Amino acid sequence: MASRGHLGEFEHTVLLAVLRLNDEAYGVTVRREIEGRTKREVSIGAIYATLDRLEAKGYVRSRVGEPTPERGGRSKRFFRITAQGVSAVNRTHRALRSLTEGLDLLRSHS
Amino acid sequence: MTQTASRSRPPRLASWLVELFASDDQAESILGDLHEEFSDIVSKSGTVSARRWYWRQTVKTIAHLVGAAFRVAPWSIAGTVLLGFVLRRFSFSLPERIIVTVLRTQRPYSNLHYGFYVWQVTYGIPILHVLVSTLLGCVVALVAKRREMAATMTLALVLCALIGAALVRVALQGPMDVAWVLWSFPDPFATILGGVIVREFRLLPARRHSYT
Repeated sequence: MASRGHLGEFEHTVLLAVLRLNDEAYGVTVRREIEGRTKREVSIGAIYATLDRLEAKGYVRSRVGEPTPERGGRSKRFFRITAQGVSAVNRTHRALRSLTEGLDLLRSHS
Repeated sequence: MTQTASRSRPPRLASWLVELFASDDQAESILGDLHEEFSDIVSKSGTVSARRWYWRQTVKTIAHLVGAAFRVAPWSIAGTVLLGFVLRRFSFSLPERIIVTVLRTQRPYSNLHYGFYVWQVTYGIPILHVLVSTLLGCVVALVAKRREMAATMTLALVLCALIGAALVRVALQGPMDVAWVLWSFPDPFATILGGVIVREFRLLPARRHSYT
């Protein structure tokens, strides 16, 4: 659970994927980006539940594209990160960096 | 040919379930994404793998949609479930009262009515129980607005827990009103059915729009 503008772990992952995909971020591409880079299986439902939450917080904006035949005549919903979303990613990165600073000893435990 | 074409389409039942649990906007994008990935898997690994993948995604997606409904509006869902529970408390003995009232108006021991009398006593009460529970599910779904399925499923789970507790009580304390427990068995399913009916009615305009 995120508080005071910090992101939850999965929210952070999804926002980074949206950021990487730029104008091509929609359910399928976000899911593939996360699975490809983190080797973690995620469901479409998890992606949408998180993106809806992020949109309600003002971290992403969505627009509906044109319906296409390969999607059974259904349209894509594209997502784009907002300035507020970028700030939230930066805030979370700073917090994580500060927590991991000086933890070189961790390497010897892995 | 037709069979091959229908097998290379996503499972209808799974898509219908996603539609029940997702809001209209969500359903459009989620089902589109699932369809796109399904076609991709069909071309790479075949229909069987694609259908298996689709069903796995459907189950996980529904779990996330229910979880999201609870995160977004926990008090609204809890309120509707409580309302359903209170209504059920008041309406639980309604089927018996209706049947008794109807029976009082008849002459059960005349040959003409005897078979009907026995039928009402044997099947009338369970059938009315199912109808009352379905109606209760409809009321809860109407009050829950766009979270029909989350609310009716929660109420059904509460009812299942109560029936389970009643069964334990029967097992521990010996014979009591077993009929009460038996009549209650279909109630959770009937409550969910009420939610499905209301959701289907609300989906009608969107479906008509997509067909035109």
